[in-house]
Amino acid sequence: MEKKILTKYIDDPAQIDIDTFMAHGGYKAWEKVLKSMKPEQVIDEVKKSGVRGRGGAGFPAGMKWSFVPKDNPKPKYLVCNADESEPGTCKDRVLMERDPHSIVEGMAIAAFAIQSHLAFIYIRGEFAYPAQMMEKAVREAYAKKILGKNIFGSGYNLDMIVHTGGGAYICGEETSLLNSLEGERGMSRIRPPFPAVEGLYGCPTVVNNVETLACVPHVINNGAEWYSSMGTEKSKGSKLFSLSGHIKKPGNYELELGTPLSVLINDLGGGMLDGHNLKAIIPGGSSTPFLKPEQINVKLDYESLAEAGSMLGSGAVIVISDRTCMVWVIERLIHFYKHESCGKCTPCREGTGWLEQVISRIEHGQGMPGDLEKIESLCENILGRTVCPLGDAAVMPIQSSLKLFRDEWAYHIEHHRCMVKTEFAFN
Amino acid sequence: MILNEKSIAEIKGKLALYPSPKSVVLPALTIAYRQVRYLSPEIYQEIAQVTGLSEVDVAGAASFYTMFPKEPVGKYLIQVCHNISCALLGADSLIGYLEQKLEIKKGQTTPDGLFTLISVECLGSCTTAPMMQINEDFYENLTHEKVDRILEELRGKS
Amino acid sequence: MAEKDNNSVSLTINGREISVPKGTTILEAAKQLGIYIPTFCWHPKLKPAGACRICYVEIEKMPKLMVSCATPVAPGMIVHTESEKVKQGRRAVLEFTLINHPLDCPTCDKGGECDLQDLTFRHGVDQSRFDFDKYRFIRDKKSTFDDFRLGPEIIRNQNRCILCYKCVRANTEIFGEDDLGAFQRGNITEIDTPPGRQVDSLYSGNLVEICPVGALTNTDWRYKIRVWNTQTVNSICPYHADGANIKIWKDRQNVFRVTSRRNDAIDEGWLSDVTRYGYQIAKPEGRLLNPLMKKGGSQVAVTWEEALSAIARKFKDIKDNKGGVCIGGMISPQLDCTSVYAFSKFFRTIIHSNNVDFRTEYRMLPEIPEDMYSRMASQEFSIADIEKADLIIVLDSDIIKEHPNVNLRIRKAITQKGARLYTLNPVETKTGALSVDEMVFRVGTLEALLNGVCAGLVEAGLASKKGDTSALKKCLEPNTVKDAAQISGISEERIKAFTLAVAHAQKPCLIAGEWLTESSMREKLAGAVHNLALLGSLYEKGQIGLLARAANSKGAKKLGALPHPGPGMIEKMKQTWGEYPDVPGLASDRMIRASVKQELDALFIVGVNPMLTMPDGQFVREGLEKLDFLVVADLYESETTQMADVVLPLSSWAEYGDRFVNLEGRVQEFQDAIKPLGQSRPGYLIVNDLAAQLKSPLFSEKSKFADEVDTFLNEDSVMPVPETLVEVRFMEDKINPEFPTPMLVVDEEHHFGHWTEKTKSLSVFCGEAAVEISSALAEKIGVVNGDIIRIESEVGKVNLPARISETIDAEVILVYRNFSASPVNILQMRKRRVDRVKITRVES
Repeated sequence: MEKKILTKYIDDPAQIDIDTFMAHGGYKAWEKVLKSMKPEQVIDEVKKSGVRGRGGAGFPAGMKWSFVPKDNPKPKYLVCNADESEPGTCKDRVLMERDPHSIVEGMAIAAFAIQSHLAFIYIRGEFAYPAQMMEKAVREAYAKKILGKNIFGSGYNLDMIVHTGGGAYICGEETSLLNSLEGERGMSRIRPPFPAVEGLYGCPTVVNNVETLACVPHVINNGAEWYSSMGTEKSKGSKLFSLSGHIKKPGNYELELGTPLSVLINDLGGGMLDGHNLKAIIPGGSSTPFLKPEQINVKLDYESLAEAGSMLGSGAVIVISDRTCMVWVIERLIHFYKHESCGKCTPCREGTGWLEQVISRIEHGQGMPGDLEKIESLCENILGRTVCPLGDAAVMPIQSSLKLFRDEWAYHIEHHRCMVKTEFAFN
Repeated sequence: MILNEKSIAEIKGKLALYPSPKSVVLPALTIAYRQVRYLSPEIYQEIAQVTGLSEVDVAGAASFYTMFPKEPVGKYLIQVCHNISCALLGADSLIGYLEQKLEIKKGQTTPDGLFTLISVECLGSCTTAPMMQINEDFYENLTHEKVDRILEELRGKS
Repeated sequence: MAEKDNNSVSLTINGREISVPKGTTILEAAKQLGIYIPTFCWHPKLKPAGACRICYVEIEKMPKLMVSCATPVAPGMIVHTESEKVKQGRRAVLEFTLINHPLDCPTCDKGGECDLQDLTFRHGVDQSRFDFDKYRFIRDKKSTFDDFRLGPEIIRNQNRCILCYKCVRANTEIFGEDDLGAFQRGNITEIDTPPGRQVDSLYSGNLVEICPVGALTNTDWRYKIRVWNTQTVNSICPYHADGANIKIWKDRQNVFRVTSRRNDAIDEGWLSDVTRYGYQIAKPEGRLLNPLMKKGGSQVAVTWEEALSAIARKFKDIKDNKGGVCIGGMISPQLDCTSVYAFSKFFRTIIHSNNVDFRTEYRMLPEIPEDMYSRMASQEFSIADIEKADLIIVLDSDIIKEHPNVNLRIRKAITQKGARLYTLNPVETKTGALSVDEMVFRVGTLEALLNGVCAGLVEAGLASKKGDTSALKKCLEPNTVKDAAQISGISEERIKAFTLAVAHAQKPCLIAGEWLTESSMREKLAGAVHNLALLGSLYEKGQIGLLARAANSKGAKKLGALPHPGPGMIEKMKQTWGEYPDVPGLASDRMIRASVKQELDALFIVGVNPMLTMPDGQFVREGLEKLDFLVVADLYESETTQMADVVLPLSSWAEYGDRFVNLEGRVQEFQDAIKPLGQSRPGYLIVNDLAAQLKSPLFSEKSKFADEVDTFLNEDSVMPVPETLVEVRFMEDKINPEFPTPMLVVDEEHHFGHWTEKTKSLSVFCGEAAVEISSALAEKIGVVNGDIIRIESEVGKVNLPARISETIDAEVILVYRNFSASPVNILQMRKRRVDRVKITRVES
């Protein structure tokens, strides 16, 4: 049921060492690229493979690379986005902790494709151990002259810096990440200019998610056709899913895109915890709209989930049981988004704060008639009106919750308490 | 100087890596945090001095990022994730249990200065919820027994 | 509509077509059509932030509302700025903006000119759906606070702040200052200084002016008057020669503040605090309001009639008995065109003397008409063109103190247009920090360094063919890079690197300031600059500015208010006036010397304070004491007025209308904001009244007289420069070993001339006089910040508190002039090029 491509060796504790990694075929793709490929060929291959951004937006990776202007005399930068902070998501962390060299290799190839000689991996600050693993991998790669000057005798130079953040969800948004990497406050930038034209230090920059980059060596080694043979028509290859919530066997699972959600939840995840019945599923990280139990057979791919009214997002599947108050869930989330709003644009800065106040009052039994309509109206005034996607991320689950679980919200306002009392004591 | 020679050398080492000196703000704050365990205006001043950056750049950035405590904390900073995946699996009762065990409220430090308890947003450990981070280490799939054992071990170490 | 060319884009806004250059934003395009789109965070001179979101527009085929300030136009775009969707979007943003805004409009000083208030009114948002307590910022975990002082003139009310970030952006992007930033994040973000700092840079007032709400207000203006009870008049900065354009806010007889009146050719809407707060000279506090006459040893109030007839009597007496040449006049270059012209004409046609000068801070003034310096200084110069330069050279100037707007234009050229800056100064400067190489040469060796650059050009074969390079060895001393390096202390490598930069510049811009233009060696230095300009093709490729310093220095020169106006000007004066005195003229320092030698009997001083500004204060005192008769007109009592037989109250520029000529030669009109205070009179009226008493008035109608002034102002004043190298031989300064430390006299940033000290706001910024000193030198003499240093020269001594500088490394000291409590001109020598002093710590 699992399609172990990126996770093939993650259960081998020695995979973190460069020798084991290479014995498993690691850095072959990097060598192949440097010895026999032109940057455009690499971009073409990745374009053909159909690899899409695994951070949440799903933008085709090869296409993103091709936006870097070739005639721009400025240096180019590749940045690997390892600021994994979307609630529910912990897939990149696994790759960093257990197969860090695969990320180094992916970054190296991507850097070459855009002719960058300096690549960064921006890891969220709380990930001290994953950062250590990445640092070790980079160090080992330098020692083997897989990074540095004249790599594999090709004349190509590439340096790599492991950079850690300081605790800010917003830095997972690429322009905020670039500001943060420049030492600024992690506030989002307006686009245009897009990072591909004017990114880090004002230079052309590509920002890719960890998992996206980890796919790249496999595409180079096995060819675009092999990769695109997996998945659906528009969602190619495999993807990591972080399964959490009221589930028997939570964990990270790698599935071919297009696999039904039920396979993940029931077959791999072992179904709901005893005594819990499925009530809602967040399929792509906390920013994505909910699915109802009857949608459990939806296919896990970009298009199918969009059709089902949600998003594939980061692939963080959060399973919620019938012993959970949906207002309480939203209160948690809006508190989070308000806490993480950078403060740059008005609708997000003020809107998330206001929403938190109204939602919190409802959850605490002090909701007032008209509050739901107010929330809906505030959501409309935020959605699509902000500098970066954080505003959308904050309101999409709220809108979805109000649509799918309106009875619970109404009950809260009418009876000043939860319809379903959230009760979960840890063991 | 509050920063020791090792920290200063590390910060200077970072300066050499980046195309722009300002990029060392977060690395420098991290280095200072690891040494001092919390950040303060004095630290910002020292970092500004060591890096040649302006104080407003250092202090302004530091205030934006929530990971670094801005006030003294206990020897062990316990950060319990209270975001959705952990909350679904009892983060609130975990916090309650810790409050009871440590005899403090969330946000407080034990009188012996050993533990500070706070709750934080998602730490990227959702499939192993509930969890907490103590200083830089993650403790996952927490149960009462596990928490007891962890606290005991930490108490024993000091 | 067909595209005009590849660089223009056609689009439709509200049904109207427009074609604009590629890269234009929708907001700018709409502005061109006269279509109003509201903004908070947008500013014409700042990079767009897209933060406030109030400038939404609807673009057909785009699902979302777009912010017009940050969205570039695209061909065929169809934009709506007043659709229902746009209006709804704006109302939503206003609602969000208002939820935590205190709505304390009745007690807010921004009321009546608040963008938020106006927009809320315009959009009819009269109800709030927000039913929670508004967020209140807490300071020090204790009390809520509304007003918090960020700096001498800035009060912040964080609760009112709508986080447009304009203040922080301007402070960083435009001024390069690091005293203000954003702290925390999200909806509790605060605008604040870093710990222990305050906002006190020279440009601090701009931050208040661009605040769209009442979050930043200034002490000077707040709660004095409601804005709707004021009117504005157009005016010009009466201090720096930049000529910043301003508006004066006033009611019938009071002035309240100055704000910018954006002129992209000069100031781009940014004012220095001197310009902004210096208007307070038009307030009555401390001003001389009636004539005074010395009677029985003390000055007593008299009528104008009495004062004027006494002066007229005395002048006539001296003129008849000893000749007009025994009377001299000094007039401030901060005075208007009519006044300086009338002054010069008065002396020449009525007193029959050429002892007229507007230069009172110079020494050893060369007396050769049409000298090299004058030729160089007459070259065309444009402030706006600085940003077209790819190479900027600043010579002998702490430019921010002399020309705040030129300084900003240099900053802009560097930070926004990629220009490279080299500074050649005897000391480190703030602007120098932006340079590719800050060349701090040994004091008094600039011409050697410039000769070295000339030699470098020739040695590298990069010199322009126009200059006769073979003359180099003959005319220049030193004449090799090696020797120049030896003398100046700038290494050969650095000189050569600079040489290459000069040779390869496409559009060089050279700017020289007061340490050159007011040096006793300026003739030689001007020659050295000329040689560089010739060999480096600067004349052809770029521009050279030996910049005039005061608001009307250029005008005073054009109008001939100096002893040797040059043959051309003399001819014109003769033609216009029908006469010109055939007598030698004395420059200001020579007038003092003549008085000491008892060859001059009377001085008529208008708007200047030589006791505080002219080198060798003791000598100046002696000169003034030996005068038979001293008349001083000024705004305030000064060390000089105290010595006068007659003191006349002078009106400030805000009390009458006239013109200044800025450093570019731009003639700019300023209007009268209020009537002259007390019995004070404008300079030209004083002169005219005296003329009437002595002979006949110079004019009966000012407007007709202005036509006469115009004929002088309209003269082309650019003088040709030689096409050959001129002789420049470096001479080592003689140093008295007892007085080894070079001393530079400068203005404190917030100080300009002797009036600003009297204004409330600027006196706070300036604080006390001080001596700036490098930390190394301070250590050497064992002083720490604030310790008193005794400074002794061969002619005087002064005690000043030490201000240990972060920027200075050179072994020089900087002393601040124009502090009446600590006059440093008594240390300066009349005949030395470099002032050298002995410094010691004063034991407390």
